[in-house]
Amino acid sequence: MSSSELRKRVLDAARAEPSAPRSERRWQNLVRVVLGFTATFCSFLLVGGLRLGGTTAARHLSRPTVLVLETALGASAMTAVALFTVFGRRRSMLGRPRSWLWLVIVLTPLGLLAWKVLASSTVPEMMLVWPERLGLKCLSLSVLFCLPPLLLIALLRRGSDPVHPISMGAAAGVAVGGVGWVLVDLWCPVAYLPHLLLGHFLPLVLLGAAGGLVGRWLLAPRAR
Amino acid sequence: MGTILAASADVAARDGAKTAADAAMERYARGDDDAFGDVYDALAPRLERYFRRHTRDTTLVEDLVQQTLLHIHRARGSFIPGADVLPWAFAIARRLMIDSVRRGSREPLLSEEEISSRTSPLVSREAGGDQVLQARQLAEQLTQALNELPPGQRAAYELIKYEGMSIAQAADVLGITPGAVKVRAHRAYEALRGVVRELGGRQPNEGET
Repeated sequence: MSSSELRKRVLDAARAEPSAPRSERRWQNLVRVVLGFTATFCSFLLVGGLRLGGTTAARHLSRPTVLVLETALGASAMTAVALFTVFGRRRSMLGRPRSWLWLVIVLTPLGLLAWKVLASSTVPEMMLVWPERLGLKCLSLSVLFCLPPLLLIALLRRGSDPVHPISMGAAAGVAVGGVGWVLVDLWCPVAYLPHLLLGHFLPLVLLGAAGGLVGRWLLAPRAR
Repeated sequence: MGTILAASADVAARDGAKTAADAAMERYARGDDDAFGDVYDALAPRLERYFRRHTRDTTLVEDLVQQTLLHIHRARGSFIPGADVLPWAFAIARRLMIDSVRRGSREPLLSEEEISSRTSPLVSREAGGDQVLQARQLAEQLTQALNELPPGQRAAYELIKYEGMSIAQAADVLGITPGAVKVRAHRAYEALRGVVRELGGRQPNEGET
């Protein structure tokens, strides 16, 4: 095939497959992402929203409002940094270097856990043993809150990462998981460490793993 | 050994094409449908040369050029203002090349004869037969050494030396930091210099390998 024939073939193929320009795409994506996270927030409200305290047969626990604000604001700040690092629009179509993404993957869950433990340990009785609260409900809520937005983002960014799709997917999973962490932390009054590990920390690990798989299958451009 | 073809004219042409590609892509992203032809004209020849360095299947080369440009077309709406289109195009091309190999388009690498016949001539037209033979042997040995380099070093070297990319652009394509690119490219360069030393040829300067 001559150069001009190839040129014609490629241009014809592009004409046959409409692609929205920037102004149109931006609004479409923004609406979809807002809807996705609105659905997450509505789910949070449906399960009860902010809860300062909780009760089982063994105990009643009530968190001070200051502690709730402290943990939520600190977690929100860390999550905002993670989201900006992963999705921030630097002047490159190729995203951050892999090392930056892995910093988000490793440091975000550890930072969130450390902050939660640090803040809670300063208030008496916040970290008492509470074995009947295993954390399975928190684990389920985290996945419920975060998996749909993660899949939505992956679909919107399908084929967009030719360099490090798995790392990008994993970092996106952890960053979106941070949003889930904030919401579940507002809902869950328990700061017992095994509960935190199973119900709050493990979901971020799972979302990171899920994000990596999603990245592998959806984010990389594929030869047809 | 005769004159090595100067790289400056080639680099200038590449720089001009880079700016044209960025401007065309920006127009295309904003909605100027006709600009895609300019994007094609700026990128397709370089993409084709890149793919031809890795496969001798002309049909595959054409398919990959088409797929790369169609990926760019589909992503027109997400093109970031001020972004560099060249590293992005080469990152897509590299990914598609790797993907097509994994899927079983296990096209044999170009033979050493084919590669050496495509490399820049290392001697002037006035050179004698011995010099031509030496140059060919050197080219074949360098090509083999390049093929035997770890993939990361080879990719960094090719992007900087063959495609004229900056360290920052190569770092973008490979998804690593500029420091890591420098290290890989330097190691590749040292390995190739080692080959030249072994053959007893004169040491190449920056413009020769």
